[in-house]
Order: sequence, then C-alpha cells, then structure tokens
Amino acid sequence: MSRIVIDPITRIEGHLRIEADIQNGKVENAYSSGTMVRLLEEILKGRDPRDAWAFVGRVCGVCTSVHSLASCRAVEDALGITIPPNAEMVRNLMFCTQYMHDHVVHFYHLHAMDWVDVVDSLKADPKKTSEIAQSISSYPKSSPGYFSDLQKRVKKFVESGQLGIFANGYWGHAAYKLPSEINLIGLAHYLEALEWQKEIVKIHTIFGGKNPHPNFLVGGMACSIGIDDVSAINAERLAYVQQLLYQARDFINQVYIPDLLAIAPYYLDWGGIGGGLGNYLVYGDLPDNGYSDTASYRFPAGAILNKDLSKVYEVDLRSDSEVQEFISNSWYTYAGGDSVGLHPWKGETKLNYTGPKPPYEHLDVEQKYSFLKTPRWKGNAMEVGPLARVLVGYARGKEEFKAAVDSVLSVLKVPAAALFSTLGRTAARAIESQIIANWAIDFYDKLIQNIKNGDTRMADMEKFDPKKWPAKATGVGHTEAPRGALGHWIVIEDSKIANYQLVVPTTWNASPRDAKGQMSAYESALLQTPIANPEQPLEILRTIHSFDPCLACAVH
Amino acid sequence: MAQITTIGRKTYYDDIIEKGYSRRDFMKFCAMMAAYLGLESSGVAQVAQALQTQHRVPVIWLHFQECTCCSESFIRSSHPIVADILLDKLSLDYTETLMAASGHQAEVAKAKTMKDYYGEYILCVEGTVPTDNNGVYCCIGGRTAEDILKEAAAGAKALIAWGSCACNGCVQAAYPNPTSATPIHKIITDKPIIRVPGCPPIGEVMAGVLVHIITFGTLPELDGAKRPKAFYSKRVHDTCQRRAFYDAGLFVETFDDENAKKGYCLYKVGCKGPMTYNACSVTRWNNGVSYPIQSGHGCIGCSEDNYWDAGPLYRRMQTFPGFGIESNADEIGIGAAVLTAGGLAAHAIATNIRKNKLIEDLITEGKESEKELKK
Amino acid sequence: MNDLAMHFKHLRRVFVWELPVRVYHWINALAIVVLCVTGFIIGNPPGIMFGGEAHESYWFGTVRFLHFASAYIFLFNFLFRLYWGFVGNKYANWKNFIPTNRRFFKEMWEVLKIDILQIKSGEHLSVGHNALAGFIYFLTFIAFAVQCITGFGLYAAMSHSLIARMFVWVSPFLGGDFALRRWHHAAMWFFILFAMVHVYLVFYHDYVEGRGEISSMGGGWKFIEEEVFEEQNSKTSA
Ligand code: HEM
Ligand code: HEM
Ligand code: NFV
Ligand code: SF4
Ligand code: SF4
Ligand code: F3S
Ligand SMILES: [Mg+2]
Repeated sequence: MSRIVIDPITRIEGHLRIEADIQNGKVENAYSSGTMVRLLEEILKGRDPRDAWAFVGRVCGVCTSVHSLASCRAVEDALGITIPPNAEMVRNLMFCTQYMHDHVVHFYHLHAMDWVDVVDSLKADPKKTSEIAQSISSYPKSSPGYFSDLQKRVKKFVESGQLGIFANGYWGHAAYKLPSEINLIGLAHYLEALEWQKEIVKIHTIFGGKNPHPNFLVGGMACSIGIDDVSAINAERLAYVQQLLYQARDFINQVYIPDLLAIAPYYLDWGGIGGGLGNYLVYGDLPDNGYSDTASYRFPAGAILNKDLSKVYEVDLRSDSEVQEFISNSWYTYAGGDSVGLHPWKGETKLNYTGPKPPYEHLDVEQKYSFLKTPRWKGNAMEVGPLARVLVGYARGKEEFKAAVDSVLSVLKVPAAALFSTLGRTAARAIESQIIANWAIDFYDKLIQNIKNGDTRMADMEKFDPKKWPAKATGVGHTEAPRGALGHWIVIEDSKIANYQLVVPTTWNASPRDAKGQMSAYESALLQTPIANPEQPLEILRTIHSFDPCLACAVH
Repeated sequence: MAQITTIGRKTYYDDIIEKGYSRRDFMKFCAMMAAYLGLESSGVAQVAQALQTQHRVPVIWLHFQECTCCSESFIRSSHPIVADILLDKLSLDYTETLMAASGHQAEVAKAKTMKDYYGEYILCVEGTVPTDNNGVYCCIGGRTAEDILKEAAAGAKALIAWGSCACNGCVQAAYPNPTSATPIHKIITDKPIIRVPGCPPIGEVMAGVLVHIITFGTLPELDGAKRPKAFYSKRVHDTCQRRAFYDAGLFVETFDDENAKKGYCLYKVGCKGPMTYNACSVTRWNNGVSYPIQSGHGCIGCSEDNYWDAGPLYRRMQTFPGFGIESNADEIGIGAAVLTAGGLAAHAIATNIRKNKLIEDLITEGKESEKELKK
Repeated sequence: MNDLAMHFKHLRRVFVWELPVRVYHWINALAIVVLCVTGFIIGNPPGIMFGGEAHESYWFGTVRFLHFASAYIFLFNFLFRLYWGFVGNKYANWKNFIPTNRRFFKEMWEVLKIDILQIKSGEHLSVGHNALAGFIYFLTFIAFAVQCITGFGLYAAMSHSLIARMFVWVSPFLGGDFALRRWHHAAMWFFILFAMVHVYLVFYHDYVEGRGEISSMGGGWKFIEEEVFEEQNSKTSA
C-alpha cells in the first residue's frame, strides 16, 4: 500500500490537501484536509450585526454574495424584519446570477481539464470539429475557420514553450477518452466561457455596485428604484438586466448543456464511480413569497438517507439536535470536550493546532488533521450541493426537476442509479443551471410587474436603528449556495454580535472524520476510485472537482 | 527600472504580424494602447518599441489567506480580456486557481520558472501570510506561506500585492487578527512592491497594471503608499456622480427614502468615499457598468488600510479604538464638554466661597472709591 | 484715608498686549469659532429637506468654503504669532510658553494651587501670562499645528495649491485619510473645550483680581498693584 499526497489541489478555491492510500490500483483510504484558516467567526464578535454581511462576504470571492445573503437573512430573522417583495426578487436575481456564473466557470475553467485533453486538441480536424459542433448546438461560433484559427493560436502558444497555466498537466493520460475534435470544442468554449462570465456578473454590478463582493443591506437592498431618476434603478438599468439574463440563458442552452451531453457519453463509467455517502441535505431557497414561507421555495428543502428517494425528511435548523459541528479530528478545542457536537448557536471556534511542524511530508491522520470542523445532521454525514438539490427536487416530485433529470438520463441512456456518482454530480450542476436560467427570467418579470403595480419599495428600514432591538436575539439565515446548503447562525446581545457561526457547504463535504470515525463526502466518494498511475492521480481530481471545492468557504 | 525581460523568443510584433496583421494595424494598436495608458502622442513610439522587443513575461501568482476574489476580479477584465492576457501577453506559470497541474507537478512548474527566469519573473501575491504559531495557519504542500513567499520573492524582478489582503491585511487582519495575518510588504522588504489595494481591486485596474509592466518593461509610477498613481491618486468622492448633491447639502437620511430614489449623496448613511483612494467612480466596475455608490450603497472604503476596524459601516464618523463600537469622537466630545461645563460651574461656586474675603475686599475697595469720588 | 484707599492709589497701568498681539488674538478667536462651527456641520450635516435640483443649492459647498477660507487665515495668523514670539515685547516672547527653568514649574504649581485647586487663598503675581496659562497656550499652539497639518493633509486631496501640495505626505504618514479625518475631527473638541475654559478663566481673573483682564485684549492695558509691580521688577532684574 502506498500513501500519495496531492497538495495543492489546484483548480479549486483555497487550500485543499488530499492524502490517499492506493492498493491494487484503487483508493483504499482517503483523508481530506483544509490547511488554511482565518477565523472570521472570532473576528465578528462584538461588531455591529448590520455590518456582518460585508465581513462574511469576504469569506469567499468565488461564491461571492451568498454569504452576504445568508448573513442579512440571519440578522433579519433575529430582529423580525421582513424585506419588501422587490428586494426579494432582486436578491433572487443576484442568487441566480451567482449560480449561472459559478457553475459555468466551474465546468469550463475548473473541471473541464479533467476530461478534456488540451494538447490533444491540436490534432483535431477543424472541419470535422465544425460539423460536430453544429450538430449539437445552434451556437453561432462554429465555423471551420473559427476552429482552425483557434487551433493556430493554440499551436503557436504551445510552440512558444511557455505553456503558462497549461504547463505540466496530465496530458496524454490514459484516462482521457475524448476524440480530438471534442477536445478542441472544449478548449474553444473554455475561452468563450472566459469571455461570457464577465458579462453575466454585470447583474450584480447593477444591483450591488460591483462584482466580486456586491453590496447587500439588512432590510432589503440599497439599490432604490427611481424610474424617473438617472442614478437609481430605472428603465435603462432594468433593460440591461433583462438582456444579460437572455444572453446567459442562451449560453447555458447553446454551449454548456450541449458540451456536457457531448462529453458525458465518453465517460459513462464515471456514472458508477465516486458516489460516496448517498445521504443528501438541502436547506432550500429562492422564495417566491417571502423567506418565511418555505413552501414557496423553488428549491425545496429536505434530507435523503441511503439513496432512498422514496422518503424525504424535514430539516429544522433551529433544533438543537439536528445540525451540529464536531471537532474530534479538527484543529480546534471545545470548552466541553472535543468529542461533543455543538449546535451553531452554541458554537465555539477556538484554535488548537496539533499537526506536524512544517515543512512536513504527511499529516498525522490518526489525530486531528484539518482546519475544517465536521458538521453532521442528526449524526449523519451528508452530501450537499447540486446533486443533493436535484435529487430532493426530484424526490419531492417537482415537475421541473423531473423533466430535466429524465431528459438527461434518456439522452445518455443511463439508469437513475447513475446519478449517485461523480458524473451525476457534474450533470446535476448543468441541470440546475438550465432550470435557474429560466427561473431568473420569471423573477425579473415579477419584479417588473410589482413596479408596474406601483410598489417601488426596496428596503424596510423600520428596525434598522439598534435602539429598536431587543436586548437579546437569535437568528438563522440559510441559503443554497452553489456548492450546497449554507447556514449562518447569529446571537445578538446589546446590539452587538455575541456569537456568529457559519456552517458552509464545503465544510459538510470536505470535512475530516467525526468522533465515530464516519467519513464525510469527499473521503467517502474517493473510496475504490481506480488509479491508473499513482504519479498522475487524475481520477482523484475528477471526483474531488465534481464537488467544486471551496476551502476558503469551508474554513472561513 | 530596467526592461523586465528579453529572452530569445518571439516578440509581440512577430506575433501580431504572424497573425496576419499589417504593420499599420500594429501601429494603430500601439496608438490605442498609448491613449489607454494616458500617454502623449510621442508615447506611441515607445509602446511600439516595447512591443517589438519583448516576450511573454513569466508570472507566478501565489495564494495565501484569501478569498480568491482578486483572481475572480482579474478574470472580469474587459480590456484587455483575460484570454488575450493569458495566451498572448504573459505567461501565467503558476496560479492554484486556474493551472492544469496539481500537487507536485504544480510545484515543479513553479520551480522551473523560478530557476529559468531567475531575476526576471513577476511575483503576484493574493492574500496575507499568517505569522502566528510558526505559520501553521496557512500551509501549502506542507510548507508555510511565509517560507513559500520568501523563496519565490528571492528571484522575482518585482512583486505585485493584489488586493487589500496582500496590501493591508484585509478582513482576516481585522481585530483581533487571531492568526497574525500580515500583508506582504511587512515580510518582503528588499524588492520593489506595487500595492494594488481594493477588496477586490477592479479587474481592469489589475489588467492595467500588468499591461503597463509588459508594455513598458517598467513599473508604473507609484504614490507615497506604493500604489499606481494612475488608479489611486484620486478619492472616490472627487469624481463621484453624487458629488453635486454633496455640495448642495442634499443627503440620503436612511436607505430607500425619497432622497435615495433621487440619487442624493450617501454621506450621512456612512459613505467612506471622501477618505477612499480608488478608481471606482472613474473606471467603474465590470467594464464601466456601475460602482457601489451608483448602485445606492455607500463606499465602505475597501481599498484603505485598516478599513474593517475604522468603525461601523453606516456611521459617518469613525470610532476610536478602545471606546467600543457605539461611541465616536462627537459623543466623547459632548461628554467632555458637559463635564467641563460642570467643572467650571463648580469652580465658580467654590471661588465665591473660598475667595470670599478677596472678593469682598475688592468690592469694599470699589465702594470706598465710589464714596471718595462723591466727595 | 484708610488702607484700601491707599491700595487703590497705587495701581499701575502696564502696557501688556501690543497691537499685533491683540489683532492676532481676535482674528484667531474668530477663525477658531468659524472653523469649529463649519467643521461641526461638515462632520454632522443637518438634514435640510429641499425639493429642488442639486444645481439650485450650494449651501454645503459654502460651509466647506468658509472652513477652507478660515483655515488659510488661521494658518497665516498662527505663523505670524510664532514670528512675533521672537520680536514682540517680553509678554509676547516665546519664553513665556515653553518651560525652560525651574521657576517656570514652580510658578505653574503655585497657580494651580491658588486658582484651580483653591488650596491657598490669594492672588497670583504675573503681569503677562501666568506660567500655567503660558504652558497651556504652548499646548494650544501644538494643537494649532496638529489641526493645520491634518486639515491641510485632507485639503491636499482636493486642491492643487502650493500650500496644500506641501501636505501630501500627511495621509500616507498616518496610514490613510480615515485616520487623518478621525484625528482632525477629534481635535475639534480640544478647541471647544479650550475656548470654554479659557473664556471662563479670563472672566474669573477679572472678577477675582480686578485688574481689567477682559479689557486687556482690547486696549492692551492691565492694572497692576504697586507691590506686585515692584516685586516683578526685582525678580526680572535678579
Ligand atoms: C480649529 C481648527 C479646525 C477645526 C476645529 C476643524 C474642524 C473640522 C471638522 C470637525 C471637520 C469634519 C471632519 C469629519 O467629520 O469628517 C473638518 C473637516 C475638514 N477640515 Fe477642518 N478644522 C479646523 C482647521 C482646519 C484647517 C486649518 C484646515 C486646512 C485646510 C482644515 C481643513 C479641513 C478639510 C479639508 C476638511 C474636510 C472637508 C471635506 O472633505 O468636505 N480644517 N474640520
Ligand atoms: C470673550 C472672549 C475672550 C477674551 C476676553 C479673551 C482674553 C484673553 C486674554 C486676556 C488673554 C491673555 C491671557 C493671559 O495672559 O493669561 C488671552 C490669550 C489668548 N486667547 Fe483669548 N480671549 C477671549 C476669547 C478667546 C477665544 C474664543 C480664543 C480661541 C479659542 C482665544 C484664544 C486665546 C489664545 C490662543 C491666547 C494666547 C495669546 C497669546 O498668543 O499670547 N481667546 N485671551
Ligand atoms: N462551500 C462554499 Fe461557497 C459556495 N458555493 C459557500 O457558501 O464557495 Ni466559496
Ligand atoms: S482583498 Fe478582499 S477580495 Fe481580495 S482576497 Fe482579500 S478579502 Fe478577498
Ligand atoms: S456619495 Fe459618497 S463619495 Fe459620493 S459625493 Fe457623497 S460622500 Fe462623496
Ligand atoms: S467600497 Fe471599494 S469598491 Fe470602490 S466605491 Fe469604495 S473603494
Ligand atoms: Mg463555522
């Protein structure tokens, strides 16, 4: 048995280290560790709760905006603030924008090179490539000339000897299966997506002033509607948003989805690899009628255990015994002993590094080995993210999810069981992107309708003044971040933050084992993954990337 | 500063001619570039010269304690677009966010650039370096951030500190800074460092800084705080679109009130634009679409040192460290004024008691004189 | 004639404050009042509801203009006073402000006991500033300097004038405009507190000592008892 280490795992956000034991060409055991910490939960203590969204926004610039959203909701929940309908629609639009951006960038810039051999694309025949491209999509950039120009450009780039970000990839690895032509399409769309992604975020810029890190506001949004004013949200701004939404939907339909469907058939074996836990957790999001009306959520909440889609459990974030965080294998210490689990309202974040002194070769995985805490739902390790959302939506019988999932399964000619896998995770992300692109246009229409009806309110400032707050209040704000269920728990005392705890999607997925030795999603998904060449563990990257890791989020 | 690099490979000029452009196209491009960089017409020749003699500059981009928003912002650049920067302008040989290689293959790529281009490459740093507890709070490949930074800086031509993290510590260095998150210039002191603050900096600004270096082979001109003058010499407030309202004394009193709908100035709801040096109100964000103030929220001062600890976001005046979040200079001042007035009143009363004799003497003296005058 | 009448007879008129000092004083007092009022408004603008367009109003700009205009007057007036500390009469001399010998400290202590703590009953002796007042003015001058440096440091961002340009170093030196503004704003309270105490003390001295302290800043004269005059004379010649 040999222990391999991949550190840094690249094409993710943050600092993730995987150690894996390989036996007979398969992963026998795996350990996932986050090796950077900033301790924002401690930094937040004593601050003004209304400012928290800005601090926690900086937890992550990749899934930017989602922490700010969760934070505003947590404070609003604590203080009993209900935001106006316009603000809800604008927040939903910010949310959808974030998804479309994050998922497309993940697919092309973080995940694609696990499947697409960039160097091999030089061998492609541009004419054949064009034919394939035109057969799968109506996307206009698909002429033979387009592909041959691109190929020339890449060729020159490769010949320069300065390979830049493409240097030292696992090019030529036996696990790459695509024909050269599809590799070339993948590369072309890598560049197209790079251009596209800077456009879609302009919706954040319009409503939140910038991206990354758009501005939020407790009580609503700061972007007032002033249909007759040049400096507020007016007809021009709204038309801009609408155009961006249409462009985004087109890109997803004409590029992202066709590419996924063109690549997947070559990797159907990955429909049986990397499934892992089989437990899925969703908090739900995209309210259509107020955050407190959970029935109106477009993403329904729920939990699934042991891949059993016939039963969806309810989730209660306020219950002391449902969501808990453990630290038995994490570099922290709890006042009440390191083996207990704490509900986030009672959460503690006290550092206690006991790992090896750097520079080190290996972590001592028998002890604490990560800066991630280990969250559990009713004691169960849960996977969160696109796959969980799509499965819960599917299991809850929501039409949109059923239609989208069934169509992908039938195109790929695979059974539903193939969803519980690395491929399933990657497909679920594309599926929900497509659903969301449509929803976003609904939300836009609702916003316009509401303004037409004469409601221009964007924020409720009634309780903004701390003098109107109770001496003590607790709140929880949740959202579905692109990577999964996200919750912020806040305790306010004397108008200040007394405790603030984040339990983040990647914390669920990438955490170390819990007190009972149960693995979390990454570690469990890696078990039995075939490894053709331990020197080039491409297969490990495939499964890990299918979760879209974000370690700055996970540790915060 | 000397030219950044001239290694025997193809230049931009070769590049562009090979692509089928004419010399005239090339000169047009140079003129555009010169205008973009704010140069006089004589600058065109300089740009042309630079582009005809240079290669893709190798860049190593390190990530430490950060949120990666700086990388995200960088890929938002619209002019030039990042695909062109990556393929044609520089050679981004190491960045954990985008590079194909992982694990030791990634480290090998970095080591190769550090060796082959010793003294030539540009080192970009995103994030802070934790110095507490021997640096264990940020390790990559089993080594500390500090160790990695020092090694990479040794052979760098110059450093770029991206974003507020690398420039001033940003959020993780906010009180109580539990990991001793440290900005780059406090660790590397023997190399030129360009500080490009902002949380994050504007994508076009980041690209602009790199384009300047590539085009001229020199560092851009820096101000007293080592920021490129081109983007950080004016306050957000100086060219703010709401400035006329500021001068007219027309202010938003609370968010989304009538004044907000009219686009009045955000000064009283905590706008930090008057203290913040950044290009937001000129360059704006995401290809000029908007900037925080245009979209209704005040500037939070994200490009200024220590901005997280400069007091609550929605108060105009900053607090004083040590006086709690709710007290600002005016509250302390009014308190002191009341105390002083009380003290003076007490003093006046005490005077009338303790100096009673003296005062009586004076009064008698006055009365005596008065009497004498009558005589 | 009784004792008191004799006392009265022996009051001496002394020319303490030369015209330039008096002119300086009142320009300074006025400038400080204007700077505090306008500064306070800049820091805490009142919400004046106004239905018109921005171009129809400029009141905040005007307040700021007054602040900057008074700032220049304040600066040059202050510089003039520094100069006069070297060429003016002995009551205006810089040695009145900076403790250079033990006698200075001793007198400060005396004044503290007599005037402030009122432990000893009686009058203090100086003709011009007493030592404590002189020292407080020294601190005041430092505050003037701080306020000019921070004020012009802020002003450097909005002016290309030569004087403002001389202060561009201030912001980076203090770590940015946040800190600069905070200190500039906080220092305003020193001026307000100083003015309260100062005006009170001038009235206090006039009331307790009857030497015409208030009017001295008008005409320049103080009225000093013969014994005090003699004593001071011998002290300065000793
Ligand atoms: C007694 C002397 C002074 C007092 C009490 C005073 C007080 C103030 C106060 C309270 C503010 C508002 C600060 C804030 O809340 O942000 C202010 C602003 C300012 N002061 Fe002064 N100040 C004085 C002298 C000066 C001087 C000598 C200058 C030199 C030019 C100056 C220039 C400024 C500037 C430029 C501002 C910022 C105004 C703006 O951005 O609109 N001040 N002052
Ligand atoms: C009713 C108003 C005032 C009167 C009658 C008055 C009178 C005087 C007198 C008699 C002195 C000499 C004090 C001594 O020798 O101990 C003096 C000095 C001084 N006063 Fe005032 N004062 C007035 C208001 C102010 C104000 C408002 C300020 C500014 C805040 C001010 C600033 C000063 C300063 C700086 C000196 C030191 C002068 C020097 O350079 O020698 N005064 N004042
Ligand atoms: N994990 C995570 Fe995030 C997301 N999506 C946040 O909540 O990436 Ni930075
Ligand atoms: S400067 Fe701000 S945006 Fe950039 S990495 Fe740091 S926290 Fe993120
Ligand atoms: S909104 Fe802010 S930056 Fe703009 S004028 Fe008002 S105070 Fe200045
Ligand atoms: S908050 Fe930052 S983005 Fe610009 S407007 Fe202020 S510097
Ligand atoms: Mg947490």
